[in-house]
Amino acid sequence: MRNASDTIIRTVQVVAVLGAALGVLLFPMTGPGPFIMSVGVVILSYACMATGWNFVGGFTGYMSLGHAAYTGLGGYAVALLILRADVQPWLALFLGALIVAAFSVPIGYASLRVRGASFVIVSIALVLILLLVFQSWSDVTGGSNGLRVPRPFGPEVLRPEQHERFYYLHAALLVIMLLAWWAIDRSRFGAGLKAIREDEDKAQSLGIPTFGYKLAVFVISAFFTALAGGLYALWFGFLDPIFQFSILIGSYMVLMSLLGGIRSLFGPALGAFIVGYALEFFKAQYGDSQFHLVALGLLLGIVVLFMPEGILPTLGQLLNRLRPDATSIREQSAEELAAKNADAQKAVDQRTEGTNGLTAASLSGSSTTGRKE
Amino acid sequence: MALFLQSLILGILLGGLYALLAAGLTLYFGVMRVVMIAHSAFLILAAYLAWWFTSTTGIDPLVSLLGTVPLFFVVGVLMQRVLLSRLRPATLTMMSVLLTFAVALTIEGTIGFVFTGTQRRIQLPYSGSSIEFFGAQIAVVKLIAFVLAAISLTVLYLVLKKTRFGQALRATIQNKEAAELVGIDTRKVAGYGFGVGLATAAIGGTALALDATIYPSLHWHWIGPLMAIIVVGGLGSIPGAAAAAMILGVSQSLLQIPMGTTWAQTIFYVVLFATLVFRPHGFFGGRLAQRF
Repeated sequence: MRNASDTIIRTVQVVAVLGAALGVLLFPMTGPGPFIMSVGVVILSYACMATGWNFVGGFTGYMSLGHAAYTGLGGYAVALLILRADVQPWLALFLGALIVAAFSVPIGYASLRVRGASFVIVSIALVLILLLVFQSWSDVTGGSNGLRVPRPFGPEVLRPEQHERFYYLHAALLVIMLLAWWAIDRSRFGAGLKAIREDEDKAQSLGIPTFGYKLAVFVISAFFTALAGGLYALWFGFLDPIFQFSILIGSYMVLMSLLGGIRSLFGPALGAFIVGYALEFFKAQYGDSQFHLVALGLLLGIVVLFMPEGILPTLGQLLNRLRPDATSIREQSAEELAAKNADAQKAVDQRTEGTNGLTAASLSGSSTTGRKE
Repeated sequence: MALFLQSLILGILLGGLYALLAAGLTLYFGVMRVVMIAHSAFLILAAYLAWWFTSTTGIDPLVSLLGTVPLFFVVGVLMQRVLLSRLRPATLTMMSVLLTFAVALTIEGTIGFVFTGTQRRIQLPYSGSSIEFFGAQIAVVKLIAFVLAAISLTVLYLVLKKTRFGQALRATIQNKEAAELVGIDTRKVAGYGFGVGLATAAIGGTALALDATIYPSLHWHWIGPLMAIIVVGGLGSIPGAAAAAMILGVSQSLLQIPMGTTWAQTIFYVVLFATLVFRPHGFFGGRLAQRF
């Protein structure tokens, strides 16, 4: 019976993921205009950023509000490598992300020494200092005038075609990131990271090299986030410190991931589709007014207050209720309990040698039913 | 020499304002373990209210404090009761960052919606005037802002030291469980503590409005230095925050001579990262900071 319902849940999951993947893949063929196509690129880019963020946020529970630092640095690294060092664009994208990853090592070393709120504060501070530096250091970064990023495709590739190519590039990057997250999730490394999330002190006392693990996943996250930022910069073609190093971008990543569910593989991407669509809609509808800030603030507040676990885990719990033998106690623990009780009973039987074995058996029996409820 | 003296005096005046604002942030953290990102958004809101009050009535912006201080106190109590008390204790500190961040965004958006994004500045009869002090020129508005901050900090100090509410507040900061055991209603204390903290934002914002050009996203400009101050000072330590505020305010002001205004601001972040590497729980603070 349970196998059957498990199969149903598994099928629902597989169908949902395949359906979403097919939808993303076929979207450009439905013949949307260049504008809708560009919105598609933006939303996929959000999905990449949020998934990149979730390497730190999801595994370790350290909520960085400053991951815009890495998208911004990724964008600038690519642009500067192409402009100043004449590196080939695709190589620059990869090299740039590696440079940002190297940069994130000392940052992680300093900021991962504090937990919780202090970490969040430091992550905000990082973005603000980068904004200051990139605005002031105009000889190199172009300052407030911005920086034009050369296009990787020649002039013969027209704008709508550009959108389509970058759409698929972003989709490919998203798939790579999801695979990486999935691989870490199943590894010993991932188990250690999740132990840090649950209780860092206990994890350390169990012999997990917590600081090394945190730093490693922090650098991985910076690398992927920088790739996403660099790819976006290549598509968008223009960088401005105010937009690159904006607290808002970092808060989008947090909101998207929290809304979708930071503990699940597809959560951040799903959140990015919802929030990204809403953001583009608000911007198109209300233009330059500050209304989108209010909407973003209210949405973030509602998510934090009422669904900090996110959509996907909530849906998962709903699906779980379909199980006929679903109880408040986990399946394994019930089985383990039965096995344990059998062992205990055997031990009691041996010790008492039948003199008052009856009471011992009834005692352990009653305790079994008591726990099961 | 006169330039140095002038920078030093300006640094002290700025440090006073920083100290007042950081004291508010420290109160929230001390009594509730809440990191209040929206503090500087309320600061800008108070500045806008002061500007609006003066531009419609023509009365000195300081008078608007009679309205904004009680208003902000009530808003603070309500915010603690309605929003922050809903967060689960286990994840309170972390989620409070996100929740108050959301509040900051909402305030920024609302200010932009109501007052538009145009830059505003209060014109006062004494706006341009300054007094001379051993060859250093000190702007009157900066002096007024400092006096305002000094008075508020003194009142805050006296309230914390002399009143029963202050005793309860300090007890809650030191040890919440023990405070509850001796009969202190820590939930009430947290609410009023939050109100007092927000009232300091009203005063700070008005002081800021005397001298600065204000625009809705200005609060991001303030949140970085203020957060740096409370981390460097040790989360939850009011004397630590005041000392860090004064030191950082003065160094920022002095560094402006060789480095220029923008680069001088980076001192906050340099000191912040240095603090994390060498003393993660802050230079002045107690043990609180390590755990949160």
